[in-house]
Amino acid sequence: MSALVSNVLTQVFITLIAVAGVYVLTGLTGMFSLGQAAFMAIGAYASGLLVKNAHLPIPVAMVLAVLMAVAVGYLIGYPVVRLRRDYISLVTLGFGEAIAALLNRMTSLTGGASGLTGIPRTVGLGITAVSAVVAVALVASFKCSKYGRQCIALRGDPLAAQAMGINVTRVKMIAFLLSVALTAYSGCLYAFYMSYVDPSGFGWKKSADWVIMVFFGGVNSLTGSTIGAFVLSGLPQVLRGLQNYRYVIYAVLVLIILNFKPSGLLGEWELTPRNIKRLFARKKKPADKGEV
Amino acid sequence: MSLQILINGIATGSIYALIATGFALIFNVLKFSNFSHGATMTASAFIAYFAIAGKGLGLVPTLLIAAAAGALIALVGEFVGFRRILLNHSSATYFFVSSITLGTLYEGLVTIKAGSNFFNFPRFFSTPTISMGEQVISTSDVVMFCISMVSLLVLAFIIQKTRLGRAMRAISFDRDTAQLMGINSTRIIQLTFVISGALAGIAGVFLGIKYTLYPTLGSLVVKGFIASVIGGLGSLTGAVIGALLLGVVETVLLRLLGSGYSTIATFAIMLVFLLLRPQGIAGSNVQEKA
Amino acid sequence: MKKLIALFTTVVMVLSLVVCVGGTALADDGEILIGCLQDITGATSTLGSSVQAGAQAAVDEINANGGIDGKTLVMKTYDTKGDVTEAVNAFITAVTVDKVALIIGPPVANIANAIKETAEGYDVPVMGFAMDPACQLREDGTAYKNMFCFQPSATAQGAIMAAYALQNELKTFGILYNQENAYSVSLLAPFTDRLAEEDITIDDSLIVAYGAADTDYKTLLQPIVDAKVDAIYCPNYTQQLVAIETAAAELGYQGKIITGLDGAPNFNDLYGADCSNVYYINNINTDDPDTAEKAAAVEGQVSAVNKYFLGYDVVMIAKQCLETAGLDDPAALLDAIANVTDFEGLTGTITMDPETHMPGDMAMFMYTYDGTTPVMLGEFAG
Repeated sequence: MSALVSNVLTQVFITLIAVAGVYVLTGLTGMFSLGQAAFMAIGAYASGLLVKNAHLPIPVAMVLAVLMAVAVGYLIGYPVVRLRRDYISLVTLGFGEAIAALLNRMTSLTGGASGLTGIPRTVGLGITAVSAVVAVALVASFKCSKYGRQCIALRGDPLAAQAMGINVTRVKMIAFLLSVALTAYSGCLYAFYMSYVDPSGFGWKKSADWVIMVFFGGVNSLTGSTIGAFVLSGLPQVLRGLQNYRYVIYAVLVLIILNFKPSGLLGEWELTPRNIKRLFARKKKPADKGEV
Repeated sequence: MSLQILINGIATGSIYALIATGFALIFNVLKFSNFSHGATMTASAFIAYFAIAGKGLGLVPTLLIAAAAGALIALVGEFVGFRRILLNHSSATYFFVSSITLGTLYEGLVTIKAGSNFFNFPRFFSTPTISMGEQVISTSDVVMFCISMVSLLVLAFIIQKTRLGRAMRAISFDRDTAQLMGINSTRIIQLTFVISGALAGIAGVFLGIKYTLYPTLGSLVVKGFIASVIGGLGSLTGAVIGALLLGVVETVLLRLLGSGYSTIATFAIMLVFLLLRPQGIAGSNVQEKA
Repeated sequence: MKKLIALFTTVVMVLSLVVCVGGTALADDGEILIGCLQDITGATSTLGSSVQAGAQAAVDEINANGGIDGKTLVMKTYDTKGDVTEAVNAFITAVTVDKVALIIGPPVANIANAIKETAEGYDVPVMGFAMDPACQLREDGTAYKNMFCFQPSATAQGAIMAAYALQNELKTFGILYNQENAYSVSLLAPFTDRLAEEDITIDDSLIVAYGAADTDYKTLLQPIVDAKVDAIYCPNYTQQLVAIETAAAELGYQGKIITGLDGAPNFNDLYGADCSNVYYINNINTDDPDTAEKAAAVEGQVSAVNKYFLGYDVVMIAKQCLETAGLDDPAALLDAIANVTDFEGLTGTITMDPETHMPGDMAMFMYTYDGTTPVMLGEFAG
């Protein structure tokens, strides 16, 4: 495989892991985070620093970084899961800005605006691909679990969900922390793939991009979100030659989907063995009719 | 000295107020945060810039062109980004996603036209500052403050005293019932977007004067968002108060803590405020309908 | 059915992704392809487009004079969008798909930092302008083999500006810098270090940082203006400089403002009023007739004229090195670039230090404005 394709795929897989996290948050639970990318930054910086300064083995550093992000996520999650939707966006947005400011300000530790250099480059396509598959599988099993169904229930109607005995804040918190862990992990991979991290790339626009990817593929479908991440994060690379027009095309494409297929590319459809069978069965139907 | 900080804070706050009202207006009627507002500001300010560039026109024509451009952009945006979602009665989350996408689109178009450069509006005022004893106020800030207040008063009048305003409030309260009562909700929503767009245009020009004009200028919409949430989402008075408060708090913190830490402190204050008073300053608690 | 269509669309999109990524034209035999990795969109695009325009002008000129060894020079531009991830993608596209002979790099430290590790895996020189030494040197002091910088380092530029200030008997200073910008940060210490050599220290309360989220320069400048300093050192991009100069004027600031390369024209046009108190460093001498003629020709088309000349010069250097080393031996090309000696460019006489991959001692020019007209003050060395 050429270096370019493997490079693009690696980045797509890293994004995919983060988007799987956003799917748990936005798709399953209906919360909007505009500060999700900040957790990616935490994962990237924490794991990078632990390896570079504390000389920890990389897997240990990654685990610690994810745990650290989850701890921060718990602090932020406390107000987040208790507030209404627009406030969640606001709090996470402010949180993201605060993290960026902190990374810029703590120059002696993070390198400030010049970024953190000298992280060993150890992550390649293989690890990211495996991680992405595991992440998606994890989210899929979460969706099918008790918690996943509770998430969907409380997204539809929190009040009714509460009346049914679902502990809304607890379930929301679990979903939030799962998404934080996934995003932070994608940040770890990013750091060890790029070998360089700077504070500029983790703003609210990135978080918003992830939300758009989820909606593009289908907010109710993990398969759709995965495809959305794949297509939309790869698209700007494909359209590289078009320079400034790239983002316009991207935006128009998303607007078309939102207007004409608001449930996203795949709607509610999931890639399960049963659904695949059904897909082929449906294909046969016209043929059956033909015989009659 | 401290008075000067207060003046600076109010100057910043009055721009935030212009952004926040346009933002709150859409929230009031459609119950979603319109993130395309920022890019609408940028795009209309750019249109005004190119329209007047080199012609030596004054501030007022510039503002009028920008307001008209903003109104037009918002009208088109409503049709392209929100009409179908509205008619489908889709969840408010779709508006949110659509508005961000629309913002990306406008920003992309501005970048294609204006390229990589940033621009500076010609000097509109012959004397850049007004001194009052020890304090210095820039003329553009004063004019900006006055124009903000005038447009907000006009807006308040429209909403409280006119048929249009009554219709807007009715739709804000319950769109379907309003429609049944014979209000053409599509038309009213269009008009809301037009007003919000015009405000965006004016805000865009002032932002351009203050911070130079560049394609990502619209990210300042975030300040309007914060202000309108602090103020109580959907409340226009609240948005104005929230904006002025945000401007002053930011400026004071900036002076006390310096850049960086002030951002963190602003965030912390906002968080505590939201937990203590989730309905915002104005206290009109908008219930999300399931 | 709908789902099938959706699935089909997706498959087509993914396929097109793979296809498009895979296939791009290569340069044919009669051509030498070089890459130009710049921020064409994004925050620092003003700089990137200017370098690109200058580089393109040099390419056109070389081709008009018969090319390099009879081959036509072709330059392809890759947009980094001012984003480090994009930059790596663009770099890999350039070296693996298009197989460029060398790359004209960006004048932005973060981008150079992002690609330096990736670049180690290939034999393609990146002739850039990232004046932060960390972009060219590892922490142990050895140079990245492919990374080069063709303008004086941040250390040199900061020291030159300080030397100028000392020579003009400026005693008290304030500093306003962008802590979220690597360029701005990198110019900070060299300036204060040079002042410290003359026992001038700047009070911490007068060294003010700001970030992208800050919108109120007046409040930031207030303590500095209140302290009635002789000069404010402002290593910032042009866009912020315009806003800072506006705010300083509104506060009634009387002293000087010392800026980096970004205070050069078109700062005066953008500011649009008397900026006689602005003193800036520059890498071109507009008193030189050849430079002045070229500068006049591109004025109005290029926003950062000095970056235009950087791009122009570096392509001319690239031509010289390609002629010496040929195309077939990457090691010889790297060697030729590292050992450029006494190249008479429009941005001064360039001699590379093979140890640091940056020019050695290189003088620069200090300018100010008379009203809005640039005035050359003289050549200064750190």
